[in-house]
Amino acid sequence: MNFEPRAPREGINVSKEHPLVEAGTLIVGLGFLFAIIVVALIFMVEIALYFVPEEKEAALFESWLPEDILTVSPDDARLDKLESVLWRLSRHYPESPYKFRIEIDDSEEMNAMALPGGLIVVTAGLLEKLETENELAFILGHEMGHFSNRDHMRALGRGVVISIMFAAISGSGAGTELGVSITDLALRGFSRGQEASADEFGLGIVLQEYGHVADSWRFFERIDAEDGDIAGLLTYLSTHPSPDDRVDALINKAGANGWSISGELTPIDW
Amino acid sequence: MDDMEKVSLALNFGLPLLILIGTYLIGSYIEKKHFRKIKKREKALHGFPVTTFAAMPSKWQVAGVELVSGNVVVSLDYFKRVIAGLRSIIGGRVKTYEPLLDRARREAMLRMAESAKKRGYDAVMNVRLETSRLANTSGKRESVAGVEMLAFGTAVKLEKN
Repeated sequence: MNFEPRAPREGINVSKEHPLVEAGTLIVGLGFLFAIIVVALIFMVEIALYFVPEEKEAALFESWLPEDILTVSPDDARLDKLESVLWRLSRHYPESPYKFRIEIDDSEEMNAMALPGGLIVVTAGLLEKLETENELAFILGHEMGHFSNRDHMRALGRGVVISIMFAAISGSGAGTELGVSITDLALRGFSRGQEASADEFGLGIVLQEYGHVADSWRFFERIDAEDGDIAGLLTYLSTHPSPDDRVDALINKAGANGWSISGELTPIDW
Repeated sequence: MDDMEKVSLALNFGLPLLILIGTYLIGSYIEKKHFRKIKKREKALHGFPVTTFAAMPSKWQVAGVELVSGNVVVSLDYFKRVIAGLRSIIGGRVKTYEPLLDRARREAMLRMAESAKKRGYDAVMNVRLETSRLANTSGKRESVAGVEMLAFGTAVKLEKN
């Protein structure tokens, strides 16, 4: 036997397919698959809502508090004020099955949330930016609108959907950021309509309490004009419509109903 | 859509996409360059026997032996990692890893053979390949920092007569 030197053969251990072809097929195919799964899961959330009546939900989450919020001391003066405003507003929503609760999240971000069991959480960063009670009333009314539409339960369901998708994508260690952003954006489009309808509900509550809707949207005009706090605004925008569109929609709504947009403003004192 | 939203959109989508494209371009450039170099070196070593035989032909007169080894550690780029991650959801050939491991094998063999030739040996016999995974312990999840490829064999010097 003789030794015959040969060069290693090419094309056995390495696929000929261009990596971009594989990337494209995988991204498009899996994106499509995930979209179908998300739509199916959202549909199931809607179905599940029928099986959890509001009374049951209110009882179930009666004293529930999410773990990731940093509450302020129960003696905080702001909490008293919030509770009294909330109580006055809730008289205009008598059919509510919830006993509303309110907590302050001691965070710099600007946000307000409606959570299961009638819990409203507002951030300290948001309270700092408020100038009149009317602005506060609109924000609380808006959150009540979410309860009225049961958006908070949908949001909870969507949260579960997002975490399932997150687990599926990150479990494989692939493009986690991208996958989550796409899922988040797709679901955010869904919640825009809910925000608008909660806005309408809030405006109605404010009208009944004060007899006018003046100053309801001044808060949004202000944060729109301010461009200093970009990080805070980004968090706010991630779950709410942009202030511009929102103010326009509110003015149209008030105009269409002939609601007075001027009146006496109640100062906020804390 | 206002400016803020555009910024947030760009941060959420643009950045990972930019990293993906960037790492693909850089990664495939490095890969092509490496393959070119490997082929050139393989050509230079053409005719130098590298075999997996454990036993030597009886008529060979051996003047000296030595253990020679070649070792290389390769890592993935972000693009390969993402695509392989997507692949792992549905299964199948992880095609993006194939050139990487091919490079590692050939590079390790070349280093071994080159070192044997440099030291005046005539052939490398009983060649074996070993791989081991280098884990990255930083961060919460355990991830692969790279793969080590080790080629080793017995270099033999033949009696010249």
